[in-house]
Amino acid sequence: MVKTQHNASHMVEYGEPVGIIAAQSVGEPGTQMILRSFHLAGIESTISTSGLPRIIELVDAKKKPSTPVTYIYLESRINKSFEKSEELLKKINEVRMSGIAKRVLENFSKGMIKVVLDRQELEVEGLTAKQIASKINKELDLDADVKEGNIIISTHTKNLKEIRAASIKIMKMLVSGIDGAGRGTIRRDEKTGEFYLVSGGSNIDGIMGIDGVDKKRTTTNDIFAIYRLFGIEGARNALVFELKKTLKEQKISVDERHLDLIADAMTSMGTIKGVGRHGLSGEKKSVFARAAYEETMKHLIHAAAFGEIDSMRGVTENILVGKQMPIGTGSVKLAIKKEDLAKIKPKQ
Amino acid sequence: MPSKKIAAAYVYLNGKAIGTVENPLSLVNEVRAARRKGIVSGEVNVSFSEKLNSVSINADRGRIRKPYIIIEGGKSKLTPELKERLKNREINFNYLIRNGVIEYLDAEEEENALVALDEGAINERTTHLEVDISSIFGFTVNTSPFPEHNSLARHAMLANFTKQAQGLYATNFNQRFDSRAYILFYPQKPVVTTAAYDTAKITTHPSGQNFVVALSTYYGYNMADAIVLNRAAVDRGLGRSIFYKTYVDEERRYPGGQKDKFKIPQATADGFMGEHIYSKLSEDGIIEPEMEVSEGDALIGKVAPPRFLEENIGAGGLEEKMRDDSTVMKTGEGGVVDSVVFTETTGATKIVKVRIRSLKTPENGDKFASRHGQKGVVALIVPPEDMPFTAEGVVPDLLLNPHSIPTRLTFGHLLEMLAGKAGAVNGKVLDGTAFSEKGTDRIDNYGSILEKHGFEKFGNEILYDGITGMPFKSVLFNGVVYYNRLYHMVSNKIQVRSRGKVQILTHQPTEGKARQGALRFGEMERDALIGYGASLLIKERLLDQSDRAEVLICKECGSIGYYDHIKKAMVCPIDKSGAFEEVEISYAFKVLLDEIRSLHIMPSIKLKE
Repeated sequence: MVKTQHNASHMVEYGEPVGIIAAQSVGEPGTQMILRSFHLAGIESTISTSGLPRIIELVDAKKKPSTPVTYIYLESRINKSFEKSEELLKKINEVRMSGIAKRVLENFSKGMIKVVLDRQELEVEGLTAKQIASKINKELDLDADVKEGNIIISTHTKNLKEIRAASIKIMKMLVSGIDGAGRGTIRRDEKTGEFYLVSGGSNIDGIMGIDGVDKKRTTTNDIFAIYRLFGIEGARNALVFELKKTLKEQKISVDERHLDLIADAMTSMGTIKGVGRHGLSGEKKSVFARAAYEETMKHLIHAAAFGEIDSMRGVTENILVGKQMPIGTGSVKLAIKKEDLAKIKPKQ
Repeated sequence: MPSKKIAAAYVYLNGKAIGTVENPLSLVNEVRAARRKGIVSGEVNVSFSEKLNSVSINADRGRIRKPYIIIEGGKSKLTPELKERLKNREINFNYLIRNGVIEYLDAEEEENALVALDEGAINERTTHLEVDISSIFGFTVNTSPFPEHNSLARHAMLANFTKQAQGLYATNFNQRFDSRAYILFYPQKPVVTTAAYDTAKITTHPSGQNFVVALSTYYGYNMADAIVLNRAAVDRGLGRSIFYKTYVDEERRYPGGQKDKFKIPQATADGFMGEHIYSKLSEDGIIEPEMEVSEGDALIGKVAPPRFLEENIGAGGLEEKMRDDSTVMKTGEGGVVDSVVFTETTGATKIVKVRIRSLKTPENGDKFASRHGQKGVVALIVPPEDMPFTAEGVVPDLLLNPHSIPTRLTFGHLLEMLAGKAGAVNGKVLDGTAFSEKGTDRIDNYGSILEKHGFEKFGNEILYDGITGMPFKSVLFNGVVYYNRLYHMVSNKIQVRSRGKVQILTHQPTEGKARQGALRFGEMERDALIGYGASLLIKERLLDQSDRAEVLICKECGSIGYYDHIKKAMVCPIDKSGAFEEVEISYAFKVLLDEIRSLHIMPSIKLKE
């Protein structure tokens, strides 16, 4: 049964305007979407953008999602243990100096910076003052020492600007975890009982490098991060997945093939392109189609300056001049000349 | 929080800072006491805002204010003795204001008040008492009976519909020349009134009628906010109204001593529309009263001087070249000339006002609404013999679909049906003011009245099908509801076009009723047809039935040429070869090419073959 439904006889016919149909199929239910919906507490959607803003973000091919999320799955040897998951989370969690410092005291006359550490935070992150001091020494090339549990740094300069710059640098310094991975929480899959991590960053290549992370299942909602790591096919699949997920959250059912088409169109050039002015619509071949969409003058002047020729193959430009559009019933043409038609004689 | 020394409060008079005060509350209390004694005008409002630490005293105009009974020491100042004297009409409302029983609060001072809804809710902190509980609603909501039983969204709709109702807006409507006026033939005061009807005296110029309503379907004709009317009721004047429209014209003066003149334009006038247009005008160029007029007839004949100065000096003729500027009946309008007024403006120019009257009998598509935000459009007017009827032979005026009640939560509508029925059989007007009685008590009261007159106490009755004569299987709820006829009527809105005027610039059909326009086949409609792949249908809609143009395109240079009728040859503006192809394009595209050319860009069309 399944096979017959998807075999060639059920394929879209030649000349079917699939693009318009896909646009309408996504656009119509889109009008029902609430701009910023209330979501239920405890569900993942609470942390990430959902609904129409998310769809716009995906379709416009935004470089960074407004709420990046990474789902980190663990290898089967550790994913049943909460302690081991927690341990792994500590390796990933992005901790910066500003997060564990209570106060920063700059002594400009001596050229010293004193960082008062938050003991509780240190304990939670499993770090010691000594570790941090050595990290400062190594990474920032400064002299750091531990005194009464706090860090004293001498900058070897008395220049105000340099001291202030050094203290800013220190506060921004990554103490532990992965740059751009964000801070995560541990979740438990109710069905399988396994633990997984959800973090608010999208440095997926950094996370993949950690031992114990299941590289097959770990994923993110950052399309461009996936594109950089897995290439265009991965990005295309991620795009479809995210579109589908967002629509499903809003209880809107759109046939998958429409979403496939949109994702294919966006990724067909090898890079991810949005559908708007700076993407697909802005790169149409026809001058008229581009001018009819947005920035009319820009396209007309460009066309004049470079002597562009509109070959009239698209829908918009043909409707504009009043010709039959080359799609649907307009996609067929008489292959024989009118004069030749008269020569054909019916068979006896 | 550590106790901070409170800074002196700012004092604002009419929004301007005038100083500070150490003890703001005592200032506020002092002003209030003075106001209640009559030392300070009752129009002054004073309030203290803790958040802003400021006292604001306002005596300027434009503040919305509302009266409240003053409570002091947990006791209403409106004592039983005063109430008794008020009842005997010894004193009035103004007496209470003068004597510090009632005061007006504005929005700012309200923030300092704790208002009790009724006397039972007064406690030691209460400062004021509502004059009546129904005054928590505004005027429009208070014209609705039982508003406390309706949903808030319906109140908003009701407020709009009340404003749109046709009625007797002014008793001197005969003497008035409003640009548009709607007068109901037989306005009635409602069987179920509210306190607002008396206080605002709207019973003397009502805007609706009491309809006998049955909650029933009628072969699907009242689905989705449609209503079914009884032909007999309509013929007897139910919802019948008159529509007045006034056309005005003036003999204007122009710089240079020229002026307009009222007269039948001579055939030589510029823009003369033809003899038949002016045939109904009298000698002075103005139409006579009681003349039947219809679309396109001239009402006021007028000639005006030409718009642009032309060389007509010494043209020999005494007759100056004039332009026709007559006032003509607009498309789709008709009626009888009701009244013509000929007078003078303050600028001493002649002015004519022609009032047209037309009868508006309820017809399919006219809009009605009850006082509960329940609107409906007439879908069918049924002959009385086909309407359902009760055992007593009562035939409803209107059939309302029962589905319009539950999802909209307008239980007030049902209550009004019951109350209206009770009032009608009893011959008494009933009160439906908000919160004046408990809902269950009301049902009991109306039920007992109905039972006394031999009706079922919940207003249900067996109805008989007018077509078969058989009783319906279910009892139907019926009663009397006050309905408004709203001024949205099909006869003022209907418009059709199959061909007609086009715009000069684009050669596309015009837009809008006043210009005999077509309906726009927009982008989304275009997309829908593309989605079907109906390429020829799109071409027909967007080209053949719109701005199709046949142009000559030069085979050499690709520019648009033309046919020169003097030389009897096709001409290309650029080269002289004379080889052309006739091509069908949209005129809008031709305009686009012209505009591009005006930007010093040379577009050219390359033709296949």
